[in-house]
Amino acid sequence: MSSKTKAVKAAAPGKKTPLAAKIFLGIVGLYLLIPFLTTLIYSLFVEWTDVLPSGFTLRNYAELFTNSTFWFSIGRTLVLCLVSVAITIVLLLLAMYVVVAVNRRLGRFMQFVCMIPYALQGVILSIGIISLYTGTGTILSNRMFMLFGAYTILVLPYIYQGIRNALNAIDANMLIQAAEMLGCGRFRAYVQVVLPNIVSGILVSSLLAESIVFGDFVLANNIAGTNYQNIQVFLQANMARSSGLSSAIVVIIFLVVAAVTAVVLKLQHTSQKQ
Amino acid sequence: MAEISQTSATLSADAAVPAARVTGSAAEASRRPQKTRRWVGYVAFLPFLLVIVGYELLPLAQLVLDSLIGKESGAFGLENFVKVFTTPLYQQSIINSVWISLVSAVVGIVVSFLAARFAYESSERVRNAFTMVLNMMSNFSGVPLAFAFMILMGNSGVLTILGQQWNIPFLADFDLYTGEGLLVLYIYFQIPLATLLLLPAFSGIKKSWREAAIILQATPLDYWFRIVIPNLMPSILGTLSVLFSNALAAYATAFAIVMNNYALLPLQITSKFKGDVQIDAATGGALAVVLIILMVVCTVINNYFTKRASKGREII
Amino acid sequence: MAYIEFKDVVKRFGDNTVLDHISFGIQQGDLVTLLGPSGCGKSTLLRCLSGLETVTEGKIVLDGRDVTNVPASKRNIGMVFQQYSLFPNMTVEQNVAFGLKMKKVDPATIEKKVADAIAMVELSGKEKAYPANLSGGQQQRAALARSIVTEPSVLLLDEPLSAIDAKLRKALQSRIREIHQELGLTTIFVTHDQDEAMVMSDVIQLFHSGRIEQAGSPVEVYTSPVSEFAASFIGSYNQLSASDFTALTGVTVPAGNVVAIRPETIGISRERPDEKDAHLVDGTVVDSTPRGNVLRYTVRLEGGTTVFVDVLFRSFHMFDRGNKVYLSLPERDCLVIPVDAASARPAA
Repeated sequence: MSSKTKAVKAAAPGKKTPLAAKIFLGIVGLYLLIPFLTTLIYSLFVEWTDVLPSGFTLRNYAELFTNSTFWFSIGRTLVLCLVSVAITIVLLLLAMYVVVAVNRRLGRFMQFVCMIPYALQGVILSIGIISLYTGTGTILSNRMFMLFGAYTILVLPYIYQGIRNALNAIDANMLIQAAEMLGCGRFRAYVQVVLPNIVSGILVSSLLAESIVFGDFVLANNIAGTNYQNIQVFLQANMARSSGLSSAIVVIIFLVVAAVTAVVLKLQHTSQKQ
Repeated sequence: MAEISQTSATLSADAAVPAARVTGSAAEASRRPQKTRRWVGYVAFLPFLLVIVGYELLPLAQLVLDSLIGKESGAFGLENFVKVFTTPLYQQSIINSVWISLVSAVVGIVVSFLAARFAYESSERVRNAFTMVLNMMSNFSGVPLAFAFMILMGNSGVLTILGQQWNIPFLADFDLYTGEGLLVLYIYFQIPLATLLLLPAFSGIKKSWREAAIILQATPLDYWFRIVIPNLMPSILGTLSVLFSNALAAYATAFAIVMNNYALLPLQITSKFKGDVQIDAATGGALAVVLIILMVVCTVINNYFTKRASKGREII
Repeated sequence: MAYIEFKDVVKRFGDNTVLDHISFGIQQGDLVTLLGPSGCGKSTLLRCLSGLETVTEGKIVLDGRDVTNVPASKRNIGMVFQQYSLFPNMTVEQNVAFGLKMKKVDPATIEKKVADAIAMVELSGKEKAYPANLSGGQQQRAALARSIVTEPSVLLLDEPLSAIDAKLRKALQSRIREIHQELGLTTIFVTHDQDEAMVMSDVIQLFHSGRIEQAGSPVEVYTSPVSEFAASFIGSYNQLSASDFTALTGVTVPAGNVVAIRPETIGISRERPDEKDAHLVDGTVVDSTPRGNVLRYTVRLEGGTTVFVDVLFRSFHMFDRGNKVYLSLPERDCLVIPVDAASARPAA
């Protein structure tokens, strides 16, 4: 066994990437990067009508950062991200308590309803909510109410999976029983023993959910539209008007999402190592 | 000796009564709070249930209901579906949606199969760098992606102008604002997703299979087509169905490029509930149910393959 | 000229020399075991013979043909791997037929040969089963059938039984031995388990750090280890340092040597025995553990050294902890062997 492992290990530093692989991966990687790189260059130059762009400028960014509508849309997007993800986390943690400590059979139901949004995605979700609540004349027909409801459902699958995997990993039921044996109530055990152990698992999936809300256009556009412009709707509204400004918005959006993704990958990497 | 036993007897007799009482009340106590705790437990489930019912299940039910109440007659029935399947615009929307989803999924899976294969054969450094690019670019979709492609291949896009200057008809005459244009965009966002889904499957391919095949005198072609691809098939088909439904439901990318001026299911559905014209929940509902059915079929197929992959054979 | 010849074979991975000038021959029809601890190079040598690894220096001759630079697929060998290597998308039958299909054998012949091979490994009835539904032992039987059905000129077994539990392992060992005799197939078996090597082989090649430490029949290797390493790896020799042995028996042993005595050659008794040609020492029983049909005593000698003594398990003639006993060490079983520099280092 280990003679082989040793051989593989010894061979590993010498493992060369085949040329064909390098070329193919290079082409695919470049193909994936080009649209963003083009936008980045476009946002930094005055003109691009020849092979090379001309007239380096930060004007687009200066204009964007002094635009109050931009900051408002960023603010709204952040509110949507934080509030809806927080609501979902609280709802799921409460519901998962019931599954873990009271009735395990509810787990299958939970899994089923939590995975539905994954399959249906934004379009169906948004128009269903619009069709149900528009014109009912209650507080439920308030666009903000609908929007938060929709986002709560949109991020459900991601946060659910994160929490469930974390609970499985620590064997929550066993922990609760152990705490009960020591005279601790079930709910208290859940809050004081189980929750602290799954925080990192929830963190990763929440960040993932944040980036999904941040990148959402469908729900925001269909439900709130211009009444409550998030960053994506703001971009769409500006696209026809000013391509310079829009390219700067695209760069900003991408960098934010990329940063969140990098943090997620980093966290996943460290948790795998452990 | 006798004294001690007497003492112990007295002691135990003394202790017996309170002990019994304690156990009795303890049992009672543990039973009672358990009951209340269970009750409280279900209370904790309520908020979740409320939100799920209010924002997931009822809206879905509402759409189904919309689709079943005839637009003209107001009667319960399949009238709206008949209309959807006989109106050229809606027929075209369904056909276009299925076509663009299928083609983009198939092209996406072929490219990403090769990419995953090459990434799997690469050194860890190359593979990590490539995975990083995939992870980053899988977020580049929707409106930002549409905008980037406009800059690149739109009417006055960088590549379009270069194509005109260098006389490359394919670039110069490329029209982004058509079905073909959308297809290019859809393929773009399928590739990183598909590759990320396929990569783990490749790590299930064992080195010893390859060595056994070599020793049994198999050619590389035999190895790939008789061993690797059949073993990856569940993952390939599962990924294909994810890609298909991903493209089927995509809205932002298409909307940003063609607004509502193209026959595509998500665009048509949305325009019935939102926008300048009167809301037409009946037709919209019927179209939505068609989309839901297509997606459900996809999910069922995907579940079937993932189950088969995990149960029948231990690999992947 | 032997059927298989390794001539000065060297294999390096980077700076790491895994095989250090290996030379030996294997006679046609023999079952040869490459035995040694993990990382000693035995598997690498097997893989060099199979063609899955190339040699850095040296030559490999198979049946009169220099195969050093022949690709694996052209060497006509059969191989069973340590890891389960059946193709999961194929049934047992399809797996076994795979090699024949690659050779473009006609279907009728394939069917017959596959059925024979499956019967030979006693897997009849499992033809249509997929590998995932087989136990580890059954998978390795199928892999064995797959590698013998093509009638290779040599069969290579790379620790095929190491992941299988002890009972099944015994059964498979004897099945492999039987198949080897039925087919007369030259077979090379790699293992780190000395019992397995003893049971199965005609010849044992004992490996140590990329070199061959000792070669010979199981009995030769067992009864006359040539070095401290061989003595400690094969059986459970008691090893007494030269000074300890001198102190106990008065016999001088040249420096740089140890004295090795197998536990079952030592006599143990309550009364002072009257034996010739044996060194007598006294000691105290500190422990006794039954091992199958043998009872192993741990005896502390004067000066604090302990030795193991194996006696057949009989209800009479037993010693308890603390008993004073006499041990007789037969002179001819006290082997004086050189201290091995490599194994003198503390074991990792």
